[in-house]
Amino acid sequence: MTAVPQLLVVDDNPADVMLVREALAGSAHHPEISNVEDGEEAWTFLNRGKKYMNALRPDLIILDLNLPKKHGQAVLADIKSTPDLCRIPVVIFSTSQARQDIVRSYELGANCYVSKPGNLTDFFSAIQSIEKFWFNFVNLPPRGE
Amino acid sequence: MSSAATRLERRDSTKFKTKLQLLLVEDNADDAALLLHGLRKAGFEVSNSLVCTAADFRRHVKDELPDIILADYNLGEWRGVETLEILRSEGLDIPVIMVTGALGDVAAVKCIKDGATDYVLKDGLARLPEAIRRALLDKQERALRHQVEDDLARKVDELARSNADLEQFAYVASHDLQEPLRMVVAYTQLLSERYRGKLDENADKFLGYASEGAMRMQVLIKDLLAFSRVGRNGGASGAVDCNAVVDEVLQALASAIQESGAVVTHAELPAVWADRTQVAQVFQNLIGNALKFRGKEPPSISVQVEKADQQWLFDVTDNGIGIAPESAENVFVIFQRLHTRTDYPGNGIGLAICKKIVERYGGRIWIEPRAGSGTTFKFTLPARADDRIEVQP
Repeated sequence: MTAVPQLLVVDDNPADVMLVREALAGSAHHPEISNVEDGEEAWTFLNRGKKYMNALRPDLIILDLNLPKKHGQAVLADIKSTPDLCRIPVVIFSTSQARQDIVRSYELGANCYVSKPGNLTDFFSAIQSIEKFWFNFVNLPPRGE
Repeated sequence: MSSAATRLERRDSTKFKTKLQLLLVEDNADDAALLLHGLRKAGFEVSNSLVCTAADFRRHVKDELPDIILADYNLGEWRGVETLEILRSEGLDIPVIMVTGALGDVAAVKCIKDGATDYVLKDGLARLPEAIRRALLDKQERALRHQVEDDLARKVDELARSNADLEQFAYVASHDLQEPLRMVVAYTQLLSERYRGKLDENADKFLGYASEGAMRMQVLIKDLLAFSRVGRNGGASGAVDCNAVVDEVLQALASAIQESGAVVTHAELPAVWADRTQVAQVFQNLIGNALKFRGKEPPSISVQVEKADQQWLFDVTDNGIGIAPESAENVFVIFQRLHTRTDYPGNGIGLAICKKIVERYGGRIWIEPRAGSGTTFKFTLPARADDRIEVQP
């Protein structure tokens, strides 16, 4: 991957977004991190509506479930049923460890489900592992297709 | 109940002397007059209607709701015993006494079977007042019993609802508390990592305490969630082979067993009727405790079982540090700990969860008093009803 990897973090909690940024601060890939704070905003971003006209298509989406306006699972369902977007890997990143949330997310096409760890070390290591896995080892679909 | 019955009798005997709303089903006016005379002499203040057809009976009984119905068996075109059918179809609970001429044993038994309270022969009318008193008393007792049953059912219902509310509360509270607490933990840790040594020595200590406290609270909340989940999850009861469950538990505890040099034995165990995960949790918590609270000797733990009524009575015995008899009840209370965290880590949730699971399936768990060291836990879990036939001699 030559261009700067684009990471979209859909999360309404600025403290979590900050932790994601902190976790990736020293990363080799220097991904560009965009953040939207609710489900509708995520949809606008992905469709390059309004102020996101020039937004780049994300290479990876980190998606919280409990979002204002539009639930994360609805966003996930829309992404995975839109030909243009369905190839983008989506990592569900949620506090919920409820079985039905996990099962439903995979049913809707989530690429993986990670529970937000309760302490800093594990949180950092989860985010860093996600980044390393998707940006180091995975063959992502080519851009702009 | 006996004092209530006495009270009832006293109240009723005074009431009977004053008023009795009577519906007479009788086609012979002389018989009716004789009967009423007898009742008035016996102290009843009777008001009555007289009917002799099904249509009249149906109308009067609904309008007047009499205290009692006295019905002749033979009414020419109709039979008094058919009043019972009408009462049933109208949903009325009014005692019927058959008052009749000669009535064969077979017919009499049939009347009682059909729901008549009593029958009195016309040449034995002296018995009628007592029969009426008894019938009314029976009815009142029946009503009282129904009321008690209804009250009980309502209380049970209320209790179940309030339990469910409490569980819901614990679940929601612990679930929603996790989120902000996660922020506290993450950011106190970030602070102390990033600014260690840059503030003064006290500041590092303060941040350490804050972070420890927040993490401990995290564990407490997780435990509370686990506790409240006992009632929410599982419940998918089926036959659970305890041999397989205990073997899995021993596998999960393998490193603790190896490290302590423990010997764990179990008898041939039965199948119980419960949720598999929850049964495993009970065994894991009990055996885990036996490993944790060990004495100087390597732990020796045995799981035994015997049949008690429709339940299996399990016995988990160890040679550990034991539990003082005065603490035998306390240990099942949530977050109750008998030792300092330094001596034995833990939050005092394991046995509370065991108790909740066991009681969920109608069982009981307790500590068996015993001489010498070690602890014996006993608990019961339901056997399948059909197991009983195979197992009992």
